Formats: sequence, C-alpha cells, structure tokens
Amino acid sequence: MSDQQTPASAAATGSPQDDVTHFGFRDVPKSQKASQVAEVFHSVADKYDLMNDLMSMGVHRLWKRFTIELSGVRSGHQVLDIAGGTGDLAMKFSDLVGPSGKVVLADINASMLKVGRSRLADSGYAGNIEYVQADAEHLPFPDNSFNAVSIAFGLRNVTDKDQALKDMARVLKPGGKLMVLEFSKPTNPLLSKAYDTYSFTALPFMGKLIAGDSESYKYLAESIRMHPDQDTLKAMMETAGFANCKYHNMTGGVVALHVGIKP
Amino acid sequence: MFPGPTLLSAASAIVETALNQALEFDPAGRKALLAALTAPVQFDLTAPVALTFTLTQSAKGVLVGSQPATQPGLVISGPAMAFYAMASGDTGAIKGGRLSISGDTALAHQFQRAIERLSPDWEAAMARHLGDVPAHFLAKRLRDGAKWSRDARHSMASNLEEYLHEETGALPGRRELEASFQDIDALNLRVERLAARVEFLPQSRPASHSSHPSEPSEKQENS
Repeated sequence: MSDQQTPASAAATGSPQDDVTHFGFRDVPKSQKASQVAEVFHSVADKYDLMNDLMSMGVHRLWKRFTIELSGVRSGHQVLDIAGGTGDLAMKFSDLVGPSGKVVLADINASMLKVGRSRLADSGYAGNIEYVQADAEHLPFPDNSFNAVSIAFGLRNVTDKDQALKDMARVLKPGGKLMVLEFSKPTNPLLSKAYDTYSFTALPFMGKLIAGDSESYKYLAESIRMHPDQDTLKAMMETAGFANCKYHNMTGGVVALHVGIKP
Repeated sequence: MFPGPTLLSAASAIVETALNQALEFDPAGRKALLAALTAPVQFDLTAPVALTFTLTQSAKGVLVGSQPATQPGLVISGPAMAFYAMASGDTGAIKGGRLSISGDTALAHQFQRAIERLSPDWEAAMARHLGDVPAHFLAKRLRDGAKWSRDARHSMASNLEEYLHEETGALPGRRELEASFQDIDALNLRVERLAARVEFLPQSRPASHSSHPSEPSEKQENS
C-alpha cells in the first residue's frame, strides 16, 4: 500500500516531484504519461471489447446502460463522449439524439478511435457521429457547445484530471451534464479484498492469454488503485465548477458514476 | 439500497429486449405503440418494492429505463398487482383507483389503445427457428391448450359456484341476492321519499293552524 501513497503524498506536499505523476504504481514525468498510456491502448485496442466483456463478465454493459439512462440525452442534443474508445456509449447516444442531434466521439488514442470508427460504421451508425482525436485536457471545441459530456473509464488515464474537468465544464452548455464513469473504491471490505485478488492475479493472466500483453492489464489494476475515491472525485468536480455533484456506486463501489451540472 | 443501479439496469435491459422482440412480430402494433410514445411514459411501482420504469421512443424501437424520466408525458403509479391486473385487461384497476394516472390524458388513451391492439405473431416467431409446419403444429397445440385451460377454469368456477349455492346452500344464489338487493333499493327509495315528505310537512302547513299544537302545551304549563 505504501507504493500507492507515494505519488499522492508527493503531490500533496508540493515537493520537487511536482512534475511527476503516477503511471500505475510507478512515478513518471508528467510529459511521459500520455505516451505511456497511449502505448498501453495501442497494444490492447484490437481486443479491447472482448477483454472488457471477459474482465467484467459483461457487467460493463450494465454500468454504461445506467450512465445513458442518467444522461437525460434526448432528440436534438449535442453530446461529447471523451475517451470514447470503441464507441459503446456513442452508439447509444446516437440512437437518442436522432438525426437532428450530434455525437462527437473523442479519444486521444488513434488506434482506439480507428477501432471505434470501424465498429460504428459496420453497425450502420453514420450521419450524426463525428470522430475527433483529442486530448481531454485541451478539448478542441468552443465554449458552451454540448448538452452532455461523458467520459467512461478514461479519466484515470488523464495526466492532469483537474485541468480535464475544467475543460469539460468549459465545453458544456449551462445546464449541461457531465457524467464520469470510472472504477472506484469498493464500499465493502470483503468485496475489496476479493476485488484486489482478482485484479492483481486474474486480470494480468487474462491479458496475457487473450491479448498477449499482461503488462497493460497490470497497469489497468494499478491505475484503478491510484484513481481518486468517490468523495475525492466529487470534490474535484465541485472545484472544477460543477454544481449538484453526486455519485452512484455500482456493483458495491467497484465502479462509480459521478454526475455534475454546469451552472 | 436494494436493488442497486446494476440490477435495475439488468432488469430494464431484459424487459427492453423482450419488448422489442415481441414488437418485431407485430409491425402494426409496433407502429401504433411508437406513434403513441410521443413523450416518455413512466410507471411508478409503489409495492412490494418502490421501482420506476420508463418507456421512451427511439430510432431502434422502445427504450426501457429504470430511472425517472426528466419530463414524462404520462405517469402511472400503483402497486405491482394493479399493473398486472391492467395488463390482463382489467380496466377496474384504474376505475377503482388502485392505479393513479397523471399527465397528458390524450397520451394515456392513445397508449392504452396501442397496448390493447398489440398482438404479436408468436407462430411466425417459432417458424423462424422451427420451420412453418412444426411451428403451426406447435402453435395450434398451444392455442388449443390455452383455450382448454380457459374453458376448464371457467367451468370449474361455475361448478364451484353452483355447489356453494345450490348443493350446500352456504351462500345465497345470485338471483336471490339480486332480488334482495332490488327490495333493499326500493325500500331505501321509499324511506327517502317518506323522510322528504315528513320534512316538508311543517313547511307546507298553513300559518293559521301553526298555533294549534302549541295550545295544549301552553295549557299544561299554565296548570
């Protein structure tokens, strides 16, 4: 556990390590994190959907479904799906906004974006979806552009989360909704232990077996532990300027959906 | 809190899949239902567990949600048994006040008509997997079985009713009861009329006669 606390405590004390961040349990220079995360996703892009289904036993679809339900997105809305990956959320949003609305699927990783675009095109989704390779910290959109912004299982990979949340607030229209779906801290100690065991043994093993890459899935388990817990992320959203911030724990807190409104 | 978001999402996903598959086998009913869903319809179950489900129209069919709609056009609330009664065609659930309805009444009527018209072609659904002849054979057996069980249920209820009324005499017969109720109603009417007449008597009495009844009492008081 001491490994997990090192980077966080360094950031809190404002030590000379201010220009480093965590990459899993390791400290890396901030300038290198994005490229290291990119390597992970280049490596897993092709098997991403299959691995998601295997690792979560299909439950990730229910977490995403709940996110869509809470989004309040309807016909004619403009929606931005950051770190949209292979397009699970974008697909549902596209159905909801209809031909008069627009969905922007954004991802910093070209490989993931390519897989997502192929998948959506093959499923017949076209006309109201745009694909943009974009960094969550510097979104290439004008202020007040979207009715809803979502980021599912992406925020933990962002180097400067506070900056990313601020930029999400900037591109949202007043009254618009931000939804952050992300791994979090289980609320039950027994579940937490079982989850730790599963994450650090089964995930890398499955990664090696299916995607031929155990390191990427080791990073996944480590990055989840380094991600802020429910209350910390809620406070970060409030600091970024969101109002009515709340979170919904799912599957015992393994995943949490944070929702905030731009005032 | 039970059930959590994950379970609720699973339940709504199952209902959504089943509903959309059923609608596939009734294109006219699907069209009517989608036309009726001009705004989200929300169902609030109050018992045994407080749950909310919504129906919304989408490009792919009907969406079933497990969270309250932002702006529902129609909200129907009540216990699960009342919803079951309504789904079985018992309009008494609404008239009797077990289900409460709020929102757009035109939407409510349109939605109710669309639901009543739904008639999925289950035989076609089976034919896709089994072929026409086995599907027809199986569907005919299922239809006959359903008809037989409906008739059996009806005749069993009739026999039981007859036994209780005629054989054991434990309960009065329907006609006997109806005659008694008619007598009670007639008696009630006559009593009400009599009461109205009695009430009317002092008002209709001429003013010149109104002092007579008081005279003896005055005399009694004087004596």
